[in-house]
Amino acid sequence: MAIRPSIRKKHKTDPGEAHLQLTSMMDMFTIILVFLLKTYSTHGQLINPSADLTLPTSVIQHLPEQGLDVTVSMDWILVNGSPVEKTVNVASMDGYMIPALRQELRKYADEALKMEELYGVKFSGKVTIQGDKKLPYKLLMKVMATCGQTDYPNMRLVVYQEEG
Amino acid sequence: MILAYKPSEKVKHGFEETRLNIAPVMNLMVVLIPLLLSSAEFVRLSVIELNLPPAALGPEGEQLNNLPEEEQRKLDLTVTITDRGFFISSAMAVLGGEKEGEPTIPLSGDMYDFEALAEKLYEIKTKAGDRFTDSEHIIIMAEPEIDYQTIVSTMDASRSIRINGENQALFPIVSLSAGIL
Repeated sequence: MAIRPSIRKKHKTDPGEAHLQLTSMMDMFTIILVFLLKTYSTHGQLINPSADLTLPTSVIQHLPEQGLDVTVSMDWILVNGSPVEKTVNVASMDGYMIPALRQELRKYADEALKMEELYGVKFSGKVTIQGDKKLPYKLLMKVMATCGQTDYPNMRLVVYQEEG
Repeated sequence: MILAYKPSEKVKHGFEETRLNIAPVMNLMVVLIPLLLSSAEFVRLSVIELNLPPAALGPEGEQLNNLPEEEQRKLDLTVTITDRGFFISSAMAVLGGEKEGEPTIPLSGDMYDFEALAEKLYEIKTKAGDRFTDSEHIIIMAEPEIDYQTIVSTMDASRSIRINGENQALFPIVSLSAGIL
């Protein structure tokens, strides 16, 4: 033979690029993309739902607004994240007022009123109440009455929105 | 120059199959998906608005409302939630249930019957019509141990009813009453 076999290139054909099978991954990504486009929202997050409570569900559609945050879980009552009173103590109190909560709200109200004097920012008196869905009615009533008495009459109850 | 072969006998090379290049689309996906994921809203929050009259205005407010009572005919529709069911009452009378002393809408099984409540309220709404000044108001009262979810669902049931696919407004102005502590 004219040429020796070993000199000849072993692999004449270029192995080429590795062909990664991406079509199935692309199908999945397309479906995920369509789903995410559907749940896209520009509202942003004004309210941070607390982790240790389950909000009740409702069909109402009003959007949340900025305001003082009162969270009533099964263990603690918190105002803007700082614990104020144990829920069990409140249940056994007489009357409509919760003293510790009232003190805390008074502090915030006074601050806001001062701001209104200094800067002209109108005090809206809005308080956002997040409550666990198993709270008894009397507890809710006490919290709402305390808020009402401390210059926070506009209450917003946070709920999960359900369809229909 | 003599060709080795006739032009018509030239062997046409088979077209090499060009694979679709998915890489650019994947680039797009890898950028878009985390972007949308960070702004996706899986659970939507909404709020129920309850405005109490401001505490400071209490005494003065009452004076302003001292219109001659005879000219105002108030319905004062009240729904009371007890552990036996719903009691519907108004300024005139308590709407009785099947028997004397039974709730207007008893529990169905072990659950509150919100659809029946909504239907009853629709009946009352159509009968009351426009004759009362507070035909849009409803007051919800509850026993101390009733849970929050029941109250929220009662508020939903009294605000509007879905008939034949349309939402009919019942009593959009809902207030909570203190009840017995």
